[in-house]
Amino acid sequence: MDRETLNAFVDGELTPQEMARIAALIETQPDMKAYVLKQEKLRSALRLEEVMRTPPSSRLVEIVQKAPVSWRWRLQAVLGRRFVVRSLIPAGAALLAGLIIGVISGSGSDLVLAHGRMLARGNLAQTLNTRLASTGYSGEGPRIGISFRERAGNNCRTFTTDNQAGLACHRGGDWVVTTLVAQSPETGGSYRMAGSEMPDAVRRAVEATIQGAPFDAKAEAKAQANGWAGR
Amino acid sequence: MDASLDTIRHQMVQLLPRLRRFAIALTGSAADGDDLVQDTVERALKNLHAWEPGTRLDSWMFRIAKNRFIDTRRSARRGRVEPIEAAEESTALDGERAMQSHLAFQDTAKALQSLPVEQRQAVALVLVDGLSYREAADILEIPIGTLTSRISRAREALMTALEG
Repeated sequence: MDRETLNAFVDGELTPQEMARIAALIETQPDMKAYVLKQEKLRSALRLEEVMRTPPSSRLVEIVQKAPVSWRWRLQAVLGRRFVVRSLIPAGAALLAGLIIGVISGSGSDLVLAHGRMLARGNLAQTLNTRLASTGYSGEGPRIGISFRERAGNNCRTFTTDNQAGLACHRGGDWVVTTLVAQSPETGGSYRMAGSEMPDAVRRAVEATIQGAPFDAKAEAKAQANGWAGR
Repeated sequence: MDASLDTIRHQMVQLLPRLRRFAIALTGSAADGDDLVQDTVERALKNLHAWEPGTRLDSWMFRIAKNRFIDTRRSARRGRVEPIEAAEESTALDGERAMQSHLAFQDTAKALQSLPVEQRQAVALVLVDGLSYREAADILEIPIGTLTSRISRAREALMTALEG
């Protein structure tokens, strides 16, 4: 019997049949049995039980609880993982394609066309101006997804309503809706619930324009305090 | 707002004792082990997007710890005298606590330090942490046959060191 097989026996790495066969065999072979016992002793010495019994320092625990998380992970958490992993770059064209997708329906007075731009008005504008994503969703009206600075320097926010999802950027005192996608009320409902799904067109638009990481609660509050004015 | 992040952080806290043990087995001291764990945790969170949800968090973090350990050694060798190897002399678990009962621990840690790094990593995963050969080979990114032969060689050396 070679040592590697005996080691594998000690490590529990053999098939149940082999384990049983060797267990029976070593009872008849004192040398083999002595070797196995020694290896078992070695294993238990190496368990470093003392380390396992010592609680990790509170400093270490605090680091786990507070150390910053990758902004790409946070983006994935909001936008959905598949998209972010797959394509951080080829989204430029999608922005153009996404300029207006879908149909403007329902809450008509919340959107107006002016000088070839779609602007948020009414309830939507109010929400974009005042609601912080970090304080959670009240269950009423449009819902804010993420807020971020676009490369051009403006502040932007994603939103969902009962039947639409979109991206709006604050330019010249107005919320310009750069991407708008229609969605069914059923999906709209689930957006509200999870807040973690977003149509591809909106995701791509965010990816194509975002500068750095999405705002955390502090940056979001600061942007709001500055009236969402960009750089 | 990030329920899933809270869950992940919680799982990482649960993993801390195993990570510490792994790190101490690699570095040979509680202080260096804690540094390695801290480094590992920070790096894991900073690169959390690289972790595939649904896959094992422990394996992923062990791999980060293993890589950080190798990187640290490499830069230590390039730089001045760094405490990783020197730590062998000062093996201690949380300084002041009951030195007496730590003698066995010190012997074990010292024996581990006498192993070549490749063997030490394999032992730390299989014999110290109790992972399967398959899991350990995946973490170390080596064929399973390489792993078993490293473990076998390490066993011989450890038996000699601990009996001697």
